[in-house]
Amino acid sequence: MLDAIKTYLHSTVTPGEAGSQLWATVYIIVIVLGVSIAVIAMNWLERKILAHMQIRLGPMRVGPHGLLQPFADALKLLIKEDIIPRNADKLVFWSAPVVVTMTAFTTFLVVPFGRTHAVTDMNIGVLFMLGISSLGVLGIIMAGWSSNSHYPLMGSLRSSAQMVSYEVAMGLAIVCAVLMTSLNPTGTGTLSMIGIVEAQNAQGTWFIFKFFPLGFLAFVVFAIAMVAETNRAPFDLPEAESELVAGFHTEYSGFRWSLFFLAEYSAMLAVSSIAVTLWLGGWLRPFANTLSGPAWDMAFSLIPGLSFLAMAAGCFLGTVRMPKIIQMRAQAIGLGVFGALLALVGLVLLAPGVRERVEDIFWFVAKVACFMYLYIWYRGTFPRYRFDQLMKVGWKVLLPIGLGVLILTALVGMRQELLAAVIGGGR
Amino acid sequence: MSLTPFLRRVLMVDLVKGLSVTFHNQSEKQRVTEQYPLERPVVYERYRGQPRLKVNPETGEPLCIVCNLCALACPEQLIVVKGERNPATKRKEVVSWTYDLSRCMFCGLCAEACSTDALELTQDYEMALYSRDGMVLDQAALEHGPEPVRYAK
Repeated sequence: MLDAIKTYLHSTVTPGEAGSQLWATVYIIVIVLGVSIAVIAMNWLERKILAHMQIRLGPMRVGPHGLLQPFADALKLLIKEDIIPRNADKLVFWSAPVVVTMTAFTTFLVVPFGRTHAVTDMNIGVLFMLGISSLGVLGIIMAGWSSNSHYPLMGSLRSSAQMVSYEVAMGLAIVCAVLMTSLNPTGTGTLSMIGIVEAQNAQGTWFIFKFFPLGFLAFVVFAIAMVAETNRAPFDLPEAESELVAGFHTEYSGFRWSLFFLAEYSAMLAVSSIAVTLWLGGWLRPFANTLSGPAWDMAFSLIPGLSFLAMAAGCFLGTVRMPKIIQMRAQAIGLGVFGALLALVGLVLLAPGVRERVEDIFWFVAKVACFMYLYIWYRGTFPRYRFDQLMKVGWKVLLPIGLGVLILTALVGMRQELLAAVIGGGR
Repeated sequence: MSLTPFLRRVLMVDLVKGLSVTFHNQSEKQRVTEQYPLERPVVYERYRGQPRLKVNPETGEPLCIVCNLCALACPEQLIVVKGERNPATKRKEVVSWTYDLSRCMFCGLCAEACSTDALELTQDYEMALYSRDGMVLDQAALEHGPEPVRYAK
């Protein structure tokens, strides 16, 4: 047992490739826990950042700076009455949140947090992720249909129409990135998530900068389509509060509703990890070309630990700046303890053995976190699209751009062969 | 279609402008929310809040000379002052003083009319009550003055 653990720590492949069921199980558990914690953190961050964008404070009373607010919410949702409408289709109503949550979590099977930090390396990884994450819309339609109510039905119809339209543009953008992976001597590309990141490593550039501005355009198409795909503002028509109450989950309450919430946020994490893998170099550290060499490698590997220490310093600063009154003492102590925990994590990440092993996870998560911030930022800024505007953006703007970029990428990628053919044909 | 509006749409200039507005809103300087019971709001110097009757700090006697000017000045006629002349000192002394806060609009005319500066509208703003009963203030309550609520466990 101990030997199995020890041997794996020096492994250079994922547990799936190594055929280690034990480690695959451990990874799955860790990823499920990690995603759940990320969703809890997102809940708090979204409320805080959104509040600050609207010049409010957000949650301040439950724990220091409202840090315990998500836990209070979760407790509230768990002890809420769980209502199933009398005329609802019970079986479908029951299974809809399960389908949505399961599809959202299954996608993380192939997400590469590092060269060795994925459950498995599937040779059709991107296809698998797209397929599974589009299955999520099935759960939404089930929820809307089984509720036997007008608003959920209209919400789920909107959701399916939206997903179908944006899936096309999204697919075209993804094919661009997949085409770019085939620019190697053998001329064969890959759909494997790990293979795509390794292709970016081998070509020495992230695909967002490849064939500028083609890679960037494909990325923009994907970045817009993925917001629509996850039903987030400004494309949140399926759950437009002003029109449809709460959209497809109007009739859900308590734990079932929280499953939808969990699924929405983990789907956001999943599509963000697709974007990071395909265009932003996955787990690769930034400036690998310009700032190369052992010294820079060392400096960049210190960043994870240092960033945790910086967050801890922020917590301690918050503790010092807390109003000096008796009612705030518990909160000040709580914030101090939280800061101490962050500092501890930072110190662990600075240790040499851990540092090299965990650095890739940090870069991946940091890039995904940028996308999460963008999601909140969009929600704090943009008003909701009308449905015809949404369709117009999907079919008349994103789809032609995606097609054009795809064709141009193929032409630019094949330019030497094309030239040779033209010249050869001329002779 | 001219070029500039077209470029504005293609480069999404308006969207980026909106994003920058919300981004700058996150700064701590922009924040206006006060955490009320913990942070006391800053009230202006001439804010007119709960009324108070001053007493002579040395003798503890009321400064009011029952001239009735405040009751005459009050547009709501909510001040009722009754006094009696003390034959010994030949001065009028307060018998009863009532101030009906429930009808007061805090115009401050009574305090302006007061010839001895006995009546003032203080800066206390926490006057909410669960019933109307406590809203008619008598002399004792007015002389005692406002009692700001302390929030503590």
